This record gives sequence, C-alpha cells and structure tokens, in this order.
Amino acid sequence: MTKIPVHLDINGRHHELQIEPRVTLLDALRERLGLTGTKKGCDHGQCGACTVHIDGERVLACLTLAAQAEGRAITTIEGLAREGELHPVQAAFLERDAFQCGYCTPGQIMSAVACIREGHAGSDEEIREYMAGNLCRCGAYPHIVAAVRQAAQEFAS
Amino acid sequence: MTVHNIRVGESKRGDASDGTLAEAVGGRLSRVDGPAKITGAAKYAVEQQLEGLAYAVLVESTIASGKVRAIDTASAEASPGVLRVLTPDTIISLRTASDWLGTTPPDKPYCPLARDITFSGQHVAAVVAETFEQAVAAAALVNVSYDETPSIVDLSDGKAGDGIAIDAMTKEWGDAPAAFAAAPVRICAAYNTPREYQAPMEPHGLIARWEGDRLTVWEPSQWLDGMARTYAEWFEVPFENVRLVSPYIGGGFGSKALALSHGAVAASAAKMIGRPVKLVMTRPQTFTGYGGRAATRQTVTIGADRDGVIQSIVHRGVNETSIDGMWVEPLGSVTSIMYATPNFSSKQNVVRVNSVVPGAMRAPGENPSAFGIESAIDELAYEVGIDPLEIRLRNYAEQDPHAKKAWSTRQLREAFAAGAERFGWSRRSPKPRSMRDGNQLIGWGVAAGTYPVRRAYGEAVVRILADGSVEVESSSIDMGQGTYTILAQTAAETLGVPADDVVVKLGDSRFARAGVSGGSRLAGVMTGAVHKAATSALDQLVGLAISDPRSPFHALQANTLVVANGRIGSPRGDGPDVSIAELLKSVGRDRIEATGDTMPANSTAEDRYKNYTTIAMALPHTEGDYSRYSWCAHFIEVRVDEDFGTVRVSRVVSALDSGRLYNPKLAESQWKGGIIMGIGQALLEEGIMDRRHGRIVNNNLADYLVPTNADIPDIEVISVGIPDPHSSALGGKGVGELGIVGVAPAIANAVFHATGKRVRDLPITLEKLI
Repeated sequence: MTKIPVHLDINGRHHELQIEPRVTLLDALRERLGLTGTKKGCDHGQCGACTVHIDGERVLACLTLAAQAEGRAITTIEGLAREGELHPVQAAFLERDAFQCGYCTPGQIMSAVACIREGHAGSDEEIREYMAGNLCRCGAYPHIVAAVRQAAQEFAS
Repeated sequence: MTVHNIRVGESKRGDASDGTLAEAVGGRLSRVDGPAKITGAAKYAVEQQLEGLAYAVLVESTIASGKVRAIDTASAEASPGVLRVLTPDTIISLRTASDWLGTTPPDKPYCPLARDITFSGQHVAAVVAETFEQAVAAAALVNVSYDETPSIVDLSDGKAGDGIAIDAMTKEWGDAPAAFAAAPVRICAAYNTPREYQAPMEPHGLIARWEGDRLTVWEPSQWLDGMARTYAEWFEVPFENVRLVSPYIGGGFGSKALALSHGAVAASAAKMIGRPVKLVMTRPQTFTGYGGRAATRQTVTIGADRDGVIQSIVHRGVNETSIDGMWVEPLGSVTSIMYATPNFSSKQNVVRVNSVVPGAMRAPGENPSAFGIESAIDELAYEVGIDPLEIRLRNYAEQDPHAKKAWSTRQLREAFAAGAERFGWSRRSPKPRSMRDGNQLIGWGVAAGTYPVRRAYGEAVVRILADGSVEVESSSIDMGQGTYTILAQTAAETLGVPADDVVVKLGDSRFARAGVSGGSRLAGVMTGAVHKAATSALDQLVGLAISDPRSPFHALQANTLVVANGRIGSPRGDGPDVSIAELLKSVGRDRIEATGDTMPANSTAEDRYKNYTTIAMALPHTEGDYSRYSWCAHFIEVRVDEDFGTVRVSRVVSALDSGRLYNPKLAESQWKGGIIMGIGQALLEEGIMDRRHGRIVNNNLADYLVPTNADIPDIEVISVGIPDPHSSALGGKGVGELGIVGVAPAIANAVFHATGKRVRDLPITLEKLI
C-alpha cells in the first residue's frame, strides 16, 4: 500500500509522517510517535482506553484514521498537564485514587475533561452515564465519579 | 520506576484523618506511581520503543477439534512487508518447560503452534512483518484447512460425561450422608457458574529481543521469575540469560502469571528473524489465548435442625478443563470452612471439553465455592424461617471446621455487625416481595466471603544513597495493588526517612527475586522482606555512625542512635544532629546496601531458585497452630423492575477483615474493585458458545459485558481487621481477592428477597426472572 504524507498537530506540536492511509490515529501515536500514553484496549471502539481530543471533542483514536485528523488539533494525555502543573482532573484522579492499574486512566481522564466541558457532570448520575463509555476492569468507578465531581466543582467555582 | 517531573500539591499526598501520618505504614498515602499513570508517562511493557522492531500477528484455529491438514502461506508470504510466516512446520523447535510447581517436564519438544486442534482459537500460525498493519493484512491471507472431528462444547454437552474424580479435593468428616438423611430440615440445590474472563484492560502481549543467547522480554507479568524460568527452559538457555521487564501491568486478575504460547511464538519469531518482535493479542484473541474462570456446577445439600443449626453438608462439584490440560477450580474451599458442621463431605470432578485450559481468575475456587454455600445457607434460612444474618451467626465456625485449628484472626462476626449496622439490616422486611418502590421490587441480601492467607518467602534490596535518598529494588510487580506505594511506606517508616525520599523499583527480573504476585500474597511477603532489608540497612547506618572514627557521633560513645525524618541524632537529643547524607560523607561512604530475604537461614541456592520460580515452597495457610483467612460480609440492595426483570444493584455495604491495612486508601480501592467485578459476575458476565462450532461468540468487550460506570452505585467498605501476627510480618492478610468472594450470592439472595425467585445459574439475567 502506498504511503502518504500525513501532518498531525498533537499537543501543540507539528508532526509529519509517511504512513499507509490505513494507519489509525492510535497506532500512529503509539507505534510511530512514541506517544504511548494513549492506550489500546480493544482496537474496536468498545473500551474507551484510546480516548483523545480532536478539536476539543472526545474521540476514539482506534476508530479514527490518522489521515482523518490532519489539520485538526489533537490533544492526548501527554498534553494535558501544562508547565508541570497537573490538570485539575488529573489531580483529582490522584487524590481520589480513581485508578489502580492505570491502563484505562488516560482515556478516563480525557473523557472526564470532555465530560465536564460538555456540561455532563452536573450530578453523580449524569457523570456515571457520560463516563460509561470508558471501561475500568479494576473497578475504580466510584472513585472516578468522585474525581470528576470534584474537578467539575473546581471548574465551576 | 519512571522519574516524575510533575509537582504534586501537598493536599494530593493523601490525608491523615485517623491520625496516622499518610506516609507511615497504615497511612493513606496516594499512589507514588500515580503521577506517571495520570500523565501518560508510565511506559507499560509493550510500549518500549526499540530500533528495528517487527510486528507479529497470530492466526488461530476456526475449528474446535481435529487436525490441521495444510497451511497455505503463499499469499501471506507475497504480501508487502512480510518478513516470515511461522507454521508448525517452520517455527523453531523448543523444549517442553516445567509447570508452576516446578515438576520435571517430559523430555520432548514443544511447539506453540498447533497441528492437533483441541479448541477454537488455538494458535496455528503467525505472520511477522515490518509494520503492524502489514502483519494484520497478511495474517488474513493465511489459508488453513482442517480435518474436523466432533468436539465437546462445554459441560452441558451430551458427550461431556462425568469426568475425572480429583481425589485430592475430597474433604470428609463425620458421616454426612447419614446425618443428612436423619436431619429434620433438608435442602438440596444445584448452582452453576459460566465461563468468565479476566478481561484486563491491557491485552496480553510482549516484545522479545535476542542478543546472542540472551533474551529480553518486555511483557506484562504477575511473576517475572516464574516466566523467566519458562522462557529459559523453552529455549534451553540458562535462567540468568532471560530478563523479564514489566514496570507496569494493565490489570491481570490471575491471567498474567504464566508464560503462554503466544510468548513462545514471539520469542521464536525474534530469534528466527534476528530482530526484536512485538506481538499483542487482539481483544478477541484474549478470550482463547489463555483461560478464564472455568465453568462450574455444584450441588449443595444441607441437613439442619428446625432452629437452622447445620447437621450435615454434602457437596459435589464439577469444573471444566481442557482436552490436554488440567485445571482444578477448588469448589469445596469455602464450603468446608465457612460454617460449623459435625458432618461434611465434599468431592469434585473435572470434565474435559474442547476449550483452552482454564486459569486463575480473582479468587479461583473461593469465588464459585462461595456462590454455592452462601446461596444454600440463604435457602436454608427461608426454609426454617430465620433471618439470613441470624442463621449465619447461629452456625458461626469458632475454629476451622476442616483443619480443626484455631483461626489466627476471624473478624467475621464483627464484619456482620458493622455491615448490618451501616446498611440498616434491622429494617429489613423478611418476606420476599415485601419491599418496593413504585414498580421496582427491592431486595436486601447478605453473604459472607473468605480467602486464605497465602504466604511465601520474599527478598528485597534496600540502598541508602550518598544524597540520603533510598532505593528499594524487587522483581515483584504493581498491577494496581499499590506495591510501589506500600513498599515506599515500609522503607520510609523503617529507616526514618520521608516517603518522598524513597524510590521503589519493581518489575525487572534483574532486581532481587520475587515469587508470584497472585493469591493476594504479595503485600504480606514484600512488606516483610523490605522491612527486613531496611532494618539491616538501618543497623549498618547506625553502626557506622557509632563506630567510625570519622563520624560526628564517634565521641558520643552511644549504644544506639535515632533516625527520623532523614536525620540522625542521639535518643536523648543531645549531641550532633546530622542528615544521612552528611553522615555518609563524613565517613567516606557513597552508599549502604542491604539485601533482606525471609528464607529460612539454612536455605540453599536451589531452595531460593525453587522459591522464586515455582509455587512449590508456598507455606500452607493452616501450617502450625493456626488457620489463616481473610473474611468479609457483603450487604447488598437490588432493585428489580417488576415488568421487565432488569436487576440493578443500588447499594453495597461491605465489611472486610484483611488484618492490618498497609495503606487503607489503596486497600479500599482494591476491595471495591473486587466487589464491582462481583457485580459483573452476578448480573452480566458469561462466555456464550456457538454450539455448532464450539466457539465463543461474545469474545469482545461489547458482547462480553463487564460492568460500566453506569452499572455501579456508591459502595461503602468498612475495615474490621486487626493485626494478625500469624499471617505476615507486619500483620496484614490478603486484600485483592477477598472483595469479590460472596458478592454474587449476596446479589442472588437479594434478588430472591426482591422477587421470590431463586436464581442458581449465573449471571442473573432478566429472562431468568420473567
């Protein structure tokens, strides 16, 4: 398959790749760019571990071809903390122990940031519903809800 | 561990609400590996970036039984980027390795790609290519033809038969059948659990790299030394030549403790092409590339008097295993110890079916065992008209009924009391279908759980460096239990330094050896080993300070000194007060190092190898005068839609006895995680077979339903444990497995209370209620 040039804007940095058009954004991040914070859990859009932001919206990187993301602003977990300061959602995850093995965590955090931004963190019930696309087999759900609630309140105040 | 350059505010360090300093053992210190995990900096095993990496993709059998007639690899080999296609005929020959008991293996070759097919999803070929995409595309071009033979799909298959009696599982005392026959109240019921899958979020996979006859494997692992042993035996290289690296593990739940055939394929491929090879299972492959929890069947009969006092328990169990492998899921493990009974009989068979050999999944044995006995005693409670909590207290086992030994500690009565109080059990209306909220039937159920305290010997290195910082090294692992954190707390407390000054390095088989991280044993083993090593390092440090002529303490002629907050001084507070770094500088030392192991003093090198690479030296939980278990009681509320039969868990209060908690914040997380997996087991999880082809059909995370955030209510956990000196050096018992045990029966009991329907067949899906 012929390779094509793909230009990606990730966490404010420009990257140029020569890749086959069938390469997913997830595999471009993990296998070509060394950005392994975005996780592969199922490769079929079933688990949410690969959640990233494209133009500020949460997107599953495993169901997105890298070429589709060209010219759009991609944010991954590596781009969330600014100048060494944790994002409030990251800080809340640490404080509330909202993870164990850590593998679903980047996807949970990216979803949580978007969930709050979307206005879907108004109640515990709403948080549970709008975070339901991110599986956590360690079972950190109650602590994830607590972390999202806490971060949402920090943003609101 | 990755060095973190992220500032973490003081408030994020964990609270000290109960008066315990957050970083002391028993304090609520936040995960020290947390910053790496929440920023994406934590590099999991297959995320290592290596030069010249090639990608392998597996091809799996599409029949459940028969022989591979031919494998046509021509199209795959001609596909762009393909470096090699591996088949049973072209893969290099390996030797059969020993099992986890260390039993000498048969002297015969081992081929991780199968010619003889015993289950659907067996690895038959693999494609290695320059890129992942090329390997995936070429793997689809491998054309395998088969001679198919009839298969046994599962336990319900007419061809399955009664199986093989496992005499080692038989437990009997008194005359159980006679006592049952004579009992005024008798109940008898069958309880089934389906195939369940660990489904860790990180799929199994590895990167294998050969340098001459040295092999490095980056692979998520619950047991580096055990897996290194297997790789060494497969490839006939010395154990020391194999290095396993597994700094973080994306969940294991029992499934990542052993080297598996896909690992042999990847390491073979790397050797054959002379390049590092990465092989990661697809999510569907994780359902057949290794075994989940075996499907089980149990019959529990209880004979009791009219007051509900048990006179006899007769228990029969069956679990499935594979055609050529053996897995025994010990189904009588809880049955035989939970309640006092003068007469008891438990026997177990295993039945061969065309499946991958089942494996360990969170509380293997105890989990399905508890589903049987904890459902059955609930049935007895209704039969005799006694509250389900009261009947458990009436049959409380004051000592281990099987081993006939005293419990080391058993805070189960306290768990029942604390859980019932918090849950409001006394407000329960006893009759089924007597509590409702609109069209929702409400049910309250209780069940107990337990897990034995598995003990083993451990080893650790503790190093005090020139700048006063401390390193702890061990080839044990952290898959989310909090090993990094509790070992930092242990070293910090023992040495008298801030936890921030301790760096814990885990997950590399070049570090001090470690046994399996399974059976909830790691925390107890490793805190003991680190405590011992740190004590030895502290003794060296104080010894130097007292005796070295260059030390500022030399003139003091003290017998001992105190180290606190990284500074050394005399116990009376007079004399010098210097930092550890200053002392080391003054005596001209750049480090102090101590290795601590908890092996018996006369242990040989062979003993050590056996201890760390097999489970043969694990200490029985009933060794000596005591029987050692963790305990718990779950109180669960369900809401069942009266029209549709949908079940929602709406409230959970669990009280648990894991002895002393090394870090309650992290232990509570693990308990809740176990409870949540138990909710999945009760209501959602089930491997569904295509009976025509003997193939699992829901082999993905959209169809094999694990709990989502929206399925889980608030969960309250209460620690009722007390330090147990017979279970571990620092007084803890097991945490990780305990939480799941008893959850499914508590939910089934709650569903009965809500609906009047007894579901004995997991999961409790709506069609079983309408």
